[in-house]
Amino acid sequence: MGERTGELEPELIRRASQGDRLAFGQLLEQHYDFIHAVAWKWTRSSADADDIAQDVCVRLASAISGFRGEGRFRTWLYTLVLNAVRDDARRSMREKRKTEEWSLDPSSQGVEAEEDDMQEIWTAVQQLSPKQRDAVMLVYSEGLDHGEAAEVLGCSANTVSWHLHEARKRLKIILGREVA
Amino acid sequence: MENELDKLSRMTPPKPSNEARARAMALAMQAFDDEKNNAAAPQGTENTHRQSFIATRLWRTIMNGRLLAGSALATLLIVPAAGYLTVQMVNNKTIPLIDGPAVKKDKVEEQKTADRGDDAGKQLPLKPATDQSASQSDVDLQLQIANEMKAGQQKRIQLDVEAKNNSEWGTVKQKTVTKTETAKPEPVIADEEKADTDQKVAEVPKEALDSSALAGGAKPAGEADDLGLTENAPADALASAPATSNAVEGRVMSKKLIGATANEGTVAQPPLLQQESGDRFTSKDINPVKSVATDPVSTFSIDVDTASYAYARQAIMSGRLPEADSVRVEEMINYFPYDWKPPEKADQAFKANITVMPTPWNANTLLMHVGIKGYEVQQQEQKPANLVFLIDVSGSMDEPNKLPLLKSAFRLLVNKLKPTDTVSIVVYAGNSGVVLEPTKVSEKQKILDAIDALTPGGSTAGAEGIEAAYKLAEKAFVKDGVNRIFLATDGDFNVGPSSDDELKKMIEAKRKTGIFLSVLGFGTGNYNDALMQTLAQNGNGVAAYIDTLAEAQKTLVQEASASIFPIAKDVKIQVEFNPEKIAEYRLIGYETRALKREDFNNDKVDAGEIGSGHRVTAIYEITPKGSPAVLNDDLRYATKAQQDASTVDTKNAPSDELAFVKIRYKKPNEDKSTLITVPVKADEAKKTIDEAPADVRFSVAVAAFGQKLKNEDQVSDYSWDNIIKLGTDSKGTDSYGYRAEFLKLVELSKSLKGE
Repeated sequence: MGERTGELEPELIRRASQGDRLAFGQLLEQHYDFIHAVAWKWTRSSADADDIAQDVCVRLASAISGFRGEGRFRTWLYTLVLNAVRDDARRSMREKRKTEEWSLDPSSQGVEAEEDDMQEIWTAVQQLSPKQRDAVMLVYSEGLDHGEAAEVLGCSANTVSWHLHEARKRLKIILGREVA
Repeated sequence: MENELDKLSRMTPPKPSNEARARAMALAMQAFDDEKNNAAAPQGTENTHRQSFIATRLWRTIMNGRLLAGSALATLLIVPAAGYLTVQMVNNKTIPLIDGPAVKKDKVEEQKTADRGDDAGKQLPLKPATDQSASQSDVDLQLQIANEMKAGQQKRIQLDVEAKNNSEWGTVKQKTVTKTETAKPEPVIADEEKADTDQKVAEVPKEALDSSALAGGAKPAGEADDLGLTENAPADALASAPATSNAVEGRVMSKKLIGATANEGTVAQPPLLQQESGDRFTSKDINPVKSVATDPVSTFSIDVDTASYAYARQAIMSGRLPEADSVRVEEMINYFPYDWKPPEKADQAFKANITVMPTPWNANTLLMHVGIKGYEVQQQEQKPANLVFLIDVSGSMDEPNKLPLLKSAFRLLVNKLKPTDTVSIVVYAGNSGVVLEPTKVSEKQKILDAIDALTPGGSTAGAEGIEAAYKLAEKAFVKDGVNRIFLATDGDFNVGPSSDDELKKMIEAKRKTGIFLSVLGFGTGNYNDALMQTLAQNGNGVAAYIDTLAEAQKTLVQEASASIFPIAKDVKIQVEFNPEKIAEYRLIGYETRALKREDFNNDKVDAGEIGSGHRVTAIYEITPKGSPAVLNDDLRYATKAQQDASTVDTKNAPSDELAFVKIRYKKPNEDKSTLITVPVKADEAKKTIDEAPADVRFSVAVAAFGQKLKNEDQVSDYSWDNIIKLGTDSKGTDSYGYRAEFLKLVELSKSLKGE
């Protein structure tokens, strides 16, 4: 995940955090797609992703002043998105109907064979505990290294490794059963 | 698997719709503006309200008010305190738990009023805010005062906090309710919103006040009326209250509450949500009914753990049935002290007491009850002990039923040790560290001080901690003594990049050098049962689950000698059934302890350890030949000769035997095993269960309870009431009250099941 905004970004963030409306607008403009994409990958539902992205944007409005530039902005955004995903899940008890919703979601219709193939593993990952799921998604879907994922999850890199290790064990069981 | 997970990186999210994007941006910009206005000077934003409930806006405004800060703080403090109190009360059985999710309510009215009064008093010198150009905080003030005035007129503001714990997904319900009881000229609108924390805010009347009203607000509620200030001066404070982004603050606040209470209110777990618990248990299939013709021999390792019972108790006490996978029947049975006959001398490590009796839950089968009692080491024979406490001080341990309980538990244990014994303490969290180098118990105060000084913080890095603990144990190693690490944790054990298997191997290797490991589990939400079991099993130790100080007392003090002084290791039991008499059998429990038949005589195969005075009980349900309860058909092609061939050992066995019990064990410092054998005679079988000793009957009641919690078919027709009756009749003296507690658990389970 390259920082496509280059060195402009720190300046934008700084200005936004000091209350510069224009800078905040630009920042949103630049990151909305990213936020939405992460939310979608965690939920695979466009409706949920819309809601979560909106929620994150609104939270960002007040949270931005608290961003001190320690660590990367993207990492920080992940934290916000993941929190919003969790809150959304809690609110809607989406956990239960996630799978059916997915199959009804228009964006999931007509996916390519590759996507279809991936759905199984995604569904399995959703059955993990929230921490394990987040760790797996951050590392495998988002391509973060363990240190970065640890920063997002607010734990140590060792803990991320541990979650991944546990997740692999559980996935073996989940998929083994489903496949066999 | 790696490749499969990489597929996740190929997810292609759809482009967000422009509409959603525009809406989110607009709302965010709005929130941004509000945020700014909030921070800086007041600006008119009333024309651009966010699309949201008026109640939400009001809630935000209230949450923003400095006035409420005191109350919110009080709430923050009270919720965990109430949770703690409730847990304590439940643990102490001060309050009975009723069926279904319990709800705690704490009225914080008093504090709230007091806080408000104070704050309002402080705000008094401020200008009287009555018009729309009032600054944000003034508006808030007005609302608060308006609230206050209502309170003055017998409208009560209550802040009920219901803390519900469903582990990670804990939710907190906050209700702020303004009740209008007296007639009021102004309309009162009550709106509700279900936000993510279920905040319910009843709207306060649109009323405002002048400066004297402010003064009234600061007075004790009752006096407000006398001042007669409230009815006038309408200012429409509400309408002018701009929508602010304080929703975010409100959420943050609520989240803190969630954080603070999520693990506190273990009392109120609705059964429906139990699958969301973070506790992990490995599922094992229940032991099947086996045919003696094909499988005449049953082999298993003994298990003296009791964690499962304490865990189940904790669950039932908090109003939910334990997960079936968390129930290990043998651990429930072995939780209770039974009076099995002990061997007389130390050279006999233990004695097996066998009772055969009718099965209470099946008229056509028998129970074969094997009660084993280990030799009890007398105090003067106690070997020198070198104990290392490896204590998890990660942030998650910061709960009343974890670290503080653990401290008390270890204090109890230290007081039980001899002056020459040594104790060391290692903690692990983000970093592991030695807190106390090996110290003789003669310097008891030093040890107790070190225990007292433990504070929680950081995440868990268990592997390093374990290594440090082993180093200390080696440093203070006592030859021919007891060298044992007590690992105390709430379960999530971070072993870093290395696997469980490596950890297991290390513990196994250390066990061979004479350092054993016991595991004490604390708390819920994170409890990794399987790993704890594995660690203790590989470390020749006990896995116990400590949920109350009474349990700590039982595990560490009453049974301290058993937990600390092993009298035998690698204890295996093999039972061979006589096909002439018995058609089928089923071992109740011990699913995680099954051994292969050939492993019984293989001294290289590890098995359970038995401590001084330990009791182990195993129960088989056996089906006599010809009983209508036989499930398996006879083998058509099995000839007499074949059957004999498969049961070589009993070829010359007397035909009046039902079975032959063999126990193999090693002395703690030996590598060669010793064999004890006991034949089970058919004519010794009891005619009715009432003829069996009371302790046998009680253990059968526990077995029935465990199986019922596991939803096993065999006991489906046996009612909870039958268990209670069986248990009550065999309760005996019950000097520690364990059995009375058991009976209570059965009652509770019955009502939880709705039966």
